[in-house]
Amino acid sequence: MSNLHTLAFEIGTEEIPAFDLHRATAQLARLVPDALDAVRILHGEVTVHTTPRRLVAIVEDVAERTEALTETFRGPSVKIAFDADGNPTKAAVGFARGKGVDVGSLEVREEKGVEHVFATRRVEARDAADLLPEVLEGVIVGISWPKSCRWGSTSEYFSRPVRWIVAMLDERVVPVRFAGLEAGNLTRGHRFLAPGPHEVPTARALLDVLEAAHVVTSEGARERAIREGVARVEQECGAHAELPEKTLLEVVNLCEQPTVLAGAFDEEFLQVPEEIIVDAMLMHQRYFPLYDGDGKLTNRFIVVSNGDPACASTIVDGNERVVRARLSDAKFFYEEDLKRPLEAYVERLDEVVFQESLGTMRAKAERITALARHLAADAGLSPADAADAERAAHLAKADLVTSAVVEFTSVQGVMGSYYAAACGEGEKVARAIADHYRPRFAGDELPASAAGRVVAMADKLDTICGLIAVGQGPTGSSDPFALRRSALGILSMLLDEALPLRIGLLRAIDEALSSYARQGVAFDAQVVRDEVADFFVARAKVLLRDEGRAPDAIDAVLAAGVREPVEFVSRVRALDAAREGDPDAFADLATAYARANNLRDASLGAEVDEALLTEVEHALSCAVVQAEGRVARALAADDYPSALAELASLRKPVDLFFERVMVMDEDRALRENRLRLLNRFVAVFEGVADFGKMAKGK
Amino acid sequence: MATHTASAHGGRDRAEGRPTPTFQDVIMNLQRYWADQGCVILQPYDNEVGAGTNAPATTLRSLGPDTWRTAYVQGCRRPTDGRYGENPNRTQFYYQFQVLMKPSPDDIQELYLGSLRAIGIDVDAHDVRFVEDDWESPTLGAWGLGWEVWIDGMEVTQFTYFQQVGGFECAPVPVEIAYGLERLTMYIQGVDSMFDIVWSRGADGVVFTYGDVYLENERQYSRYNFEVADTDFLFQEFNDREAECLRTLEAGLPLPAYDSVLKCCHAFNLLDARGVISATERMAYILRVRTLAKACCASYMEHVVGIVPAEEGESAAEAAGKEDGRE
Repeated sequence: MSNLHTLAFEIGTEEIPAFDLHRATAQLARLVPDALDAVRILHGEVTVHTTPRRLVAIVEDVAERTEALTETFRGPSVKIAFDADGNPTKAAVGFARGKGVDVGSLEVREEKGVEHVFATRRVEARDAADLLPEVLEGVIVGISWPKSCRWGSTSEYFSRPVRWIVAMLDERVVPVRFAGLEAGNLTRGHRFLAPGPHEVPTARALLDVLEAAHVVTSEGARERAIREGVARVEQECGAHAELPEKTLLEVVNLCEQPTVLAGAFDEEFLQVPEEIIVDAMLMHQRYFPLYDGDGKLTNRFIVVSNGDPACASTIVDGNERVVRARLSDAKFFYEEDLKRPLEAYVERLDEVVFQESLGTMRAKAERITALARHLAADAGLSPADAADAERAAHLAKADLVTSAVVEFTSVQGVMGSYYAAACGEGEKVARAIADHYRPRFAGDELPASAAGRVVAMADKLDTICGLIAVGQGPTGSSDPFALRRSALGILSMLLDEALPLRIGLLRAIDEALSSYARQGVAFDAQVVRDEVADFFVARAKVLLRDEGRAPDAIDAVLAAGVREPVEFVSRVRALDAAREGDPDAFADLATAYARANNLRDASLGAEVDEALLTEVEHALSCAVVQAEGRVARALAADDYPSALAELASLRKPVDLFFERVMVMDEDRALRENRLRLLNRFVAVFEGVADFGKMAKGK
Repeated sequence: MATHTASAHGGRDRAEGRPTPTFQDVIMNLQRYWADQGCVILQPYDNEVGAGTNAPATTLRSLGPDTWRTAYVQGCRRPTDGRYGENPNRTQFYYQFQVLMKPSPDDIQELYLGSLRAIGIDVDAHDVRFVEDDWESPTLGAWGLGWEVWIDGMEVTQFTYFQQVGGFECAPVPVEIAYGLERLTMYIQGVDSMFDIVWSRGADGVVFTYGDVYLENERQYSRYNFEVADTDFLFQEFNDREAECLRTLEAGLPLPAYDSVLKCCHAFNLLDARGVISATERMAYILRVRTLAKACCASYMEHVVGIVPAEEGESAAEAAGKEDGRE
């Protein structure tokens, strides 16, 4: 149709930070259609294209004119809208003003038996072209940036300075204004390969003009080009590249026309621990390291260039020189660090602040050493393992003040383990040092040994307790110290069946807090202890929900008053599993429990008079007495599944009881005796789970 | 020691027949280029500074509405970076070339790329990138957004749009360009150690290298900074300079008062290198310097710019706090 148009909109900028650009791309895909819809400009598909230097939206099938619209609004009732003389009240005037109509134009109509005033507003059809400048200015302003700046003499904010705007409805320029700029039909190409300006003949041609000017306009296309290039290099040199998601995203958004190149460094540098080389390449240079068939790092790497492909050899040469300088730095630091034993760095930890109110890293090292000792004893580790854990805890943070880690932060822990091994610490101690930051994310590998896990738990628990003690725990979406992740890490270590560690988390929390108290940090121990315990329980609930455990089972176990988070998790798992095995029986039992629980009268006690019992009552009484002993023994042995099985055995006698026995008998003695029996029945469940939470329609 | 060798390197300059620029050629070419852009070419500030930014021509002149354009070489002292002349990339003294233009010109990125061409870098034949790198100075109460500029992966320049200085909003916004002169020249000359940089080359072929000029300096100052400097004297100097700064401010003289801020910074940096400032004391010292720096900026606003500042301290702290939220 001739009255449908294409809209092209480009915000031309100086280089926008890679991750901010990625988020803005997603925002733009919503902002543009929302802004058009808000003023009723009919349109077709909206596509968004972004590069570090531009945000582009192309809108298909934009209608020439908006549709006219008649809107009716109900106002106050006639009683309120007019005074005794029939003149409009303030309420009526206010309503009319609010809707933008004259008070005299209000009409009276009946709705649901009440007379109200109504305002009718007619929005005339308008040319889309007239509305677009304001709409598109709103889009520019509407993008929210983690950080934004001003520039020159303007007062507007954007991620980085905006330098040109293209806004076209087919061949017509839409005069969008922002920060002293007015939109035109001139765009710019790749900064070096085709800077422009380039004229855009019509909106539909914008992307073609850009592509011709060496701009690959979408994140997706640049990523594909990079992956293809990487595959080509892999094939050429028979190696395999690692493309970590974060670095890849950054690399994709650091170029407008990617060219994948391969470089190499001197093999001599492979003597430096692999992790430093990888850190230098990935974090500092955004290169991708290449590995051989055995997964060993090679001396080759991948560079994604934004330069002229014809100049590849110059560019590779330059990058190789940078790597050489970086790696000789790394080698220098590594060799310098090795001149002293790891132990020597421990005392220098007092130069590093852990957290403002919680003292230095040295104090932390001392606390986690003490806590590791406690955990090792609590878990009953062998004397050798316990000694390894304590030693590793003492040395775990020492590498933070070594030059290599100061320079290449992501290798903390790993470097400590190299240095520990080099100065004759045991292999297990070295490994525990490397492992103590694990698990670093959900699903990450856990520390390999019991000693490693003890150190990892001590470190994480110390951080959690300390920050909560000084009121720096996570709030809402803000968790700057990643305490939630740390708590989950601790839980996953405690729950790992491959290497069971029976450790009381509540005792450990007390231990951790008392270290802080001894250090002179002021807090209310009881309050903080509960807060930390609740924090773990909350994390445990998330973990259980993520596993798909039923919410009512979680509530049932929690209501039974279990405080130890690990206990809580294993009970919910057992309860959920048992119920899955026999859902009907559990539903029955829960119903019976809920009924008993409603009837029970604690004031009567649980001393049942055997003489008054009928056969059915007696059967229940016997079952209850037997279950009492067995449940208690099962719980004492931490055998929760058996405790549940014992409770399940009560189902038949209690069902029969409710079927045959009229609890609320007129005879008071009989009635009270039956209530006593129910009291005793309910009491068996105490400490296992509140089955009432699992009853349907409770 | 002067050596009698012709340029050992073909250099990275693609132009045939032109000798590779020396260190001083790079400086002079940058000065000429930025002079042509209307900048006042200053000589280095005669006080110890940790960065070209800290010279008053940048810090104080960033404030207020007046147009300002300057470019200058600045020797920078970072005592803790000393390596006794043994590390090819790191020294306790080095040179920056600093450009400040307020308001930032619309074509400033193009102007900057022009400056690289002016010192012999064919930017079209390399991979030049602007990579996010925001700047914050805790001692100056200042921050800005910008990039580090990479040439083939090598960081050669910091490029920043100042948003706040001394807790005051910058309006108009100055842009700062800080070139690492040694890095840049190493790149242009194709040498792997800064001590091998050719500083000057006479018509008779006599060459002075950076090492000839500064290696002994590095050895002596590294020892002084790490081993010899008298810490009692430095602690006293810090306190005295702090008092002097406040006294000077009372007289309504922000420019000389600011010299005392720089003296405090340098004393603090030396104490840091001597390893006598604990982690917890560190923050307290930084805060003391920041208080002085902000007071100088406030006084400059009042006595030079002519605007009596409202209490902006809080909003500045808030803004800075907001900016801390990244990654």
